[in-house]
Amino acid sequence: MKSNDSLYAIEVINVTKSFKIYYDKAHTLKEYLVFWKTNKNELYTALKNISLKIKKGETVGLIGVNGSGKSTLLKLMTKIIYPNSGKIITRGKLTSLLELGAGFHQDFTGRENIYFNAAIFGLTRSDIDKRIDDIIAFSELGDFIDNPVRTYSSGMYMRLAFSIAINVDADILLIDEILAVGDQHFQDKCFNKLEELKKSNKTIVIVSHDLGQIEKLCDRAIWIYEGHVQMDGSPKNVLPSYLERCR
Amino acid sequence: MSLFKNLYAYRELLKTNIQKEIRGKYKGSFLGVLWSFLNPLLMVLVYAIVFPYILRNTEDNYLIFLIVAIIPWNFFTTVITQGTNCVWINGGIIKKVYFPREILPISVVSAGLVNFFISFIIVILFILFSGIGFSIHILWVPFIAIIQSILSLGLLFILSAIDVYVRDVEYLINFFVMLLFYATPILYNANMFPLKIRWVLYLNPMAHLIDAYRNVLYYKTTPSFGSLIYIVVLSIFLFVFGLLVFRKLEKGFAEEV
Repeated sequence: MKSNDSLYAIEVINVTKSFKIYYDKAHTLKEYLVFWKTNKNELYTALKNISLKIKKGETVGLIGVNGSGKSTLLKLMTKIIYPNSGKIITRGKLTSLLELGAGFHQDFTGRENIYFNAAIFGLTRSDIDKRIDDIIAFSELGDFIDNPVRTYSSGMYMRLAFSIAINVDADILLIDEILAVGDQHFQDKCFNKLEELKKSNKTIVIVSHDLGQIEKLCDRAIWIYEGHVQMDGSPKNVLPSYLERCR
Repeated sequence: MSLFKNLYAYRELLKTNIQKEIRGKYKGSFLGVLWSFLNPLLMVLVYAIVFPYILRNTEDNYLIFLIVAIIPWNFFTTVITQGTNCVWINGGIIKKVYFPREILPISVVSAGLVNFFISFIIVILFILFSGIGFSIHILWVPFIAIIQSILSLGLLFILSAIDVYVRDVEYLINFFVMLLFYATPILYNANMFPLKIRWVLYLNPMAHLIDAYRNVLYYKTTPSFGSLIYIVVLSIFLFVFGLLVFRKLEKGFAEEV
């Protein structure tokens, strides 16, 4: 039983997540009192009793139209937000790239930010020292690495963030629609790096609207529609039906 | 236990965060870290000049009597008033990455503790030049400071977590800290009060802590044993309770900030 369980890197069991949407969010005592009765909110259920299991070493693409709950699912897996009911189990070190450069300090240099950002991902100083050359080389920032990141272009920003995340050596990597940034050259490079990680038996979950990428990279595609799993299977089967529906 | 495991795994983040707290505080000010000396020093000067006229002064060396209490009090207020919004102001990063959220209040208290030890140099200098002299009991100071840190951390867990949901906490706490300043025997000696009502004063754990500092530094005796037990038990209770509250509320942080 136990060995069977640990086959999975991520288990999502009957998870429901809803958000309260306030028209006027009370944040102070006065507002709480004034809006006691009138504090209208609507419950928006982003995920409805969803269950899925992702095996170790699997590369999974999450597809679906905007607002279908893909990003919510990723956030739940990272433990940034928590489900209203159900359970999420992840096994192994997890890194997520939900938004590029989250936690970058504008006035610090690229190099300092590598240390700071990698620390957020749970690396120690000596771990980072070992990897810093790889990270800088991968980012192709060259001498810019010692400039404050506020002087970076959005492409440079993204390259640095991606280089850090991809080099933290996590067992599970969650990526949310960010491969589209960067020029063709860097996109290809990221793509190759992901292939390499895939071969080294990492678990990767990608949210993307680039179906071509999903087809090339993933062994499994999960189509999320209005908070539940519409279809789950090999990209060859799922992608055509998804495209069919979108039309 | 999982707290310590988590903190160990994220020790680098904790370290950089503490450094940021210490360095960032006086960033942009002309005198920099010197302010952590100057601030309490100026405060002591004001009280030392004004209060002997207002209060019936029975202390031999009122300046030292004051300074051994105000520096630790300053540690308490800085941590509580500046730390209450520590979760809220880090909202940007909380929404985007996972890390043990407890790191935020822990960094504030650790930075405060480091700052306390730095400003303790003033206490030492004053005691030295006043001729009061030291005793072996000064070795109690780190122990008392650590109990104070645990107490402050317990409070900060609760305050910083609630502050995310109700922003008034930040403003209310300023008022309460000011109130507590006068309710704690800092400017005066607690024996000024008749025994009948003195116990009310000593419900406040800070009263015991301040007395403990004063005992080991000013009166050069051991801290009262009963006091120590009371604050150790209360601090540990507050720490555990605070952590539970924080754990409960942190699940909503990313949606609330």
